[in-house]
Amino acid sequence: MNIETPKGKQPETHIEAKGFSIFYGTQEAVKRVDMSIPKGAVTAIIGPSGCGKSTFLRAVNRMNDLIPNCRAAGELLVDGLNVYDAGIDASVLRRRVGMVFQKPNPFPKSIYDNVAYGPRLHQSYAKRELDAVVEESLRGAALWDEVKDRLNKNALGLSGGQAQRLCLARALAVNPEILLMDEPTSALDPKSTSRIEELIVQLKGRYTIAIVTHNMQQAARISDVTAFFYEGVMVEFDATSQLFTRPKEKRTEDYITGRFG
Amino acid sequence: MTMWKRKLLDRLFSGSAYGAIAVMAFFLVIVIGPIFLKGIGAYLFEGTIDYRRMMLNQFNRGDEQVLDVEWAEVKQERKIIYDALFAFEKELDNMSSSRRRELKPAFKQTKEAVAILLGPEPGTPLPALPRRLYGQTRWERAELKAKDVLFEESWDYSGAQGKKVMTPRAPLFKGTALEPLFSKVEKDLESLMRPERTFYPQFLTDKSIDAHFFGGIGPEVMGTIYLALGAMLIAVPLGVIAAIYFQEYAKEGFVFSLLRSCVNTLAGVPSVVFGLFGLAFFINTLRVSPGKSVVAGALTLALLVLPTVIRAAEEAIASVPHTYKEAALSLGAGKWRTILTVILPAALPGILTGIVISMGRAAGETAPIIFTAAVSVGPIVLPSEIFTTSTPALSWNLYNICTEHEAVDEIRHVQYGMALTLVMIVLALNTLAIVLRAKVSRKLKG
Amino acid sequence: MKQTEQFILSEADLRRRKFFAILGQTFLFAITSVAALAVLAIIFFIARDALPFFSGSRTWAFFTSKEWYPTSATPKFGAAAIFAGSFIVTLTAVLFAVPPGILAAVCLSDLLPFNVRQVVKPVVEILAAIPSVVYGFFALVVLAPFLQDTLGAASGVNALNASIILAIMALPTIVSVSEDALQAAGRELREGSYALGATRAETLLKVVIPSAMSGIFSAVLLGIMRALGETMVVWMASGNAAQIPSPFYNLLQPIRTLTATIAGDMGEADQMTGSAHYHVLFAMGLSLLIFSFLCNLAGEWVVNRQRKRLRGA
Repeated sequence: MNIETPKGKQPETHIEAKGFSIFYGTQEAVKRVDMSIPKGAVTAIIGPSGCGKSTFLRAVNRMNDLIPNCRAAGELLVDGLNVYDAGIDASVLRRRVGMVFQKPNPFPKSIYDNVAYGPRLHQSYAKRELDAVVEESLRGAALWDEVKDRLNKNALGLSGGQAQRLCLARALAVNPEILLMDEPTSALDPKSTSRIEELIVQLKGRYTIAIVTHNMQQAARISDVTAFFYEGVMVEFDATSQLFTRPKEKRTEDYITGRFG
Repeated sequence: MTMWKRKLLDRLFSGSAYGAIAVMAFFLVIVIGPIFLKGIGAYLFEGTIDYRRMMLNQFNRGDEQVLDVEWAEVKQERKIIYDALFAFEKELDNMSSSRRRELKPAFKQTKEAVAILLGPEPGTPLPALPRRLYGQTRWERAELKAKDVLFEESWDYSGAQGKKVMTPRAPLFKGTALEPLFSKVEKDLESLMRPERTFYPQFLTDKSIDAHFFGGIGPEVMGTIYLALGAMLIAVPLGVIAAIYFQEYAKEGFVFSLLRSCVNTLAGVPSVVFGLFGLAFFINTLRVSPGKSVVAGALTLALLVLPTVIRAAEEAIASVPHTYKEAALSLGAGKWRTILTVILPAALPGILTGIVISMGRAAGETAPIIFTAAVSVGPIVLPSEIFTTSTPALSWNLYNICTEHEAVDEIRHVQYGMALTLVMIVLALNTLAIVLRAKVSRKLKG
Repeated sequence: MKQTEQFILSEADLRRRKFFAILGQTFLFAITSVAALAVLAIIFFIARDALPFFSGSRTWAFFTSKEWYPTSATPKFGAAAIFAGSFIVTLTAVLFAVPPGILAAVCLSDLLPFNVRQVVKPVVEILAAIPSVVYGFFALVVLAPFLQDTLGAASGVNALNASIILAIMALPTIVSVSEDALQAAGRELREGSYALGATRAETLLKVVIPSAMSGIFSAVLLGIMRALGETMVVWMASGNAAQIPSPFYNLLQPIRTLTATIAGDMGEADQMTGSAHYHVLFAMGLSLLIFSFLCNLAGEWVVNRQRKRLRGA
């Protein structure tokens, strides 16, 4: 496929799924997906409820490990390494692959401590270094100006949109290479939604971003490539412009034209 | 922190968390275990001929003819013992005074020990205390008391701590008429006592004879039942109505918060303070009864469990889905009718669970009834007497017979039996509650 | 129900309905007040029989003097050692019970799979349901000989014995309430921490437990109240000697608690209702009552502070 990314016409693959399946017990929620997510681009994953898109996303940073009876089959490679290999340490993986959740979930700590939490886990910092990391992350999430005078205030006092940006800053603070976003704006008002979308567009290039969304217009607005999932199967994967104007599969066309959903 | 250190911390933390659970399970086993194992001994044990005689005389249980035959046989076996004692007494009179001085105290001790083991010699006047009317009724105690016949107990204080020393008596009386007594007791105890597997389910219902030396714990069991039932009869209507008021009628405001705080505070009052209140208010002020009584105890216990009943009922009512209420109201049912016909029935399993758990608590509590209802010895209270008479109860009497009783070591089996019975009652109630709760969650999940 | 239902009611009908509604509500309110006002009645009657004791010098001696001779010719009511006894066993029991309690709660909420949880929860509930007199019995016939034989204590009934049993009794309360608090922290909170690469221990120690702190504090407070208010166990297992151990941390010495004194002495004291002995026991009851009120207040204050914090102050 031809996709325009800041890195040039033929980008490297950052995340690759090969015959990748996820089972809840005996039920196959994600069915043998083959997909190559390009580096530095924004990849949107769309599809109706229950189609497996969130499950697939959460497999990349192995958050599915937290669910009992959930197992994976096939290969899911990040930079060529299978994340489900026996030797892979989930904690280390999650430093490199960050996540922002649907419902903003700041810790009941100060704004500063929220952002500093991740970095403090993985190494020790001098105060000045840590301050710099916190500032940089908050700037990257376009939140610095709003909170710089109240870094020690409890993060629970932030509005929904601010809290979500804080979660983004928190994820950026550990300097990941990949950002997974699971319906990051579905709980936010339109104004906050567009701010987050602006941020995503700003962040791409530096980060590889995969975003699950049930909002097709959002996918069309911000992503470079889009994957359409239906009932656990990846039906189509193409440059966003192509998928939304000239979809190859009938199911894709039916979905994006609203015949079901 | 480096990765391996973090992993190590993770392992240690998880390990200690599992360890904490293991410790709790361990404590459960070591507390309940002995009570079960030894408590069964009050109901199922090896009973001797003396036990069967006691049963027949005191409780009119057993086959008189069979027992007469058995008793005649045993008397024959025991004749050797008594003959030896009699003969030695004669010998003693003819002894030199120095030898007499040497042997007389030991002889007295032996004779006393035999009386404790076998009971009074047939044909001699009967002692006054019922407990001395028979020999040892339980085989395990017979074996123990046989040791008292065969050995003399003394203490050796030469070391850091006193050590018990058992010196056999037989060598002392070698060559005398008393000698055959010891070999008979040592080698042939079974024919002297005739132990038999005995099942005594009436332990639960029999009254006790002579401060629990014989008999069962019937009055205590009945007392506990009266008190627990009485407490619930009072607490349940009060509690359910209060719960309905809190959930369905009350509005946020000062009075509402005040009432709530009061109920919460009531939950925190120590149990012995409830006892004091019961004494000061129900007995001394309201004079519901002239002294301690079942009613005063039930009232006090009702106050104790009231907050729990209210809480459980409130939770049950609150978890009835909103939609049931809306459906009923939209069909034209009034508020009160909705509560009676829709909400309460739906909340019933939850309320029942709370009631059952509270009943278990009321059955097990001691402090509230010490001053208001409980007495150490007494017959089963009749329903007509509940306003006037105090009653024994499992909880109080368990305390009493293992601390203030005059022969604590002699009735260990009764203590364990009482503890077991109390624990079984409470566990049965709690298991019922767990089952009810499982039914509730299944119903709510559909 | 009448055949023809009118939905516009007559004046009389309306008034009648309103009357019954108000009657019903008043009835409910009255019953509820009885339940709630019981606590005020308790305060009143305990205080009424306690206050006659607090006359003049006796008050000061009550709290500070160690001379407790209530039945002697010149009675002395110095309860300082008894207060100390209550304090010592409560503190020790809580120290023994809180760390394992919180760890066990963590195990239940985060470590154990669902099936095992269903088995372990009844274990905790059974521990809670065992009557205190049965625990006292255990303390007397099993733990006391053990302490005497294995640890060489002069007497098996002492402060340590009582503290151990009180800790076992407080554990289920601490575990249940802490577990509720940990669960309430929520799945999303834990996911946020895991997604940043934290291990389970780090997530629990740095995010979940701090978040559940007010609930855990309530749990500890409830444990304290349970240990302090316990009567039978301390009566049977603490040795009932009104003395302060020397040195104060020598738990192998017998002590006496407020609750055991009330339970033990009231039998004789009540023979002379109105005697000083009777009143001093009520004074002890009043002290216990006041302390449990303070604990309740502390608990409510913490819950309110948490509620305010969650709204983002």
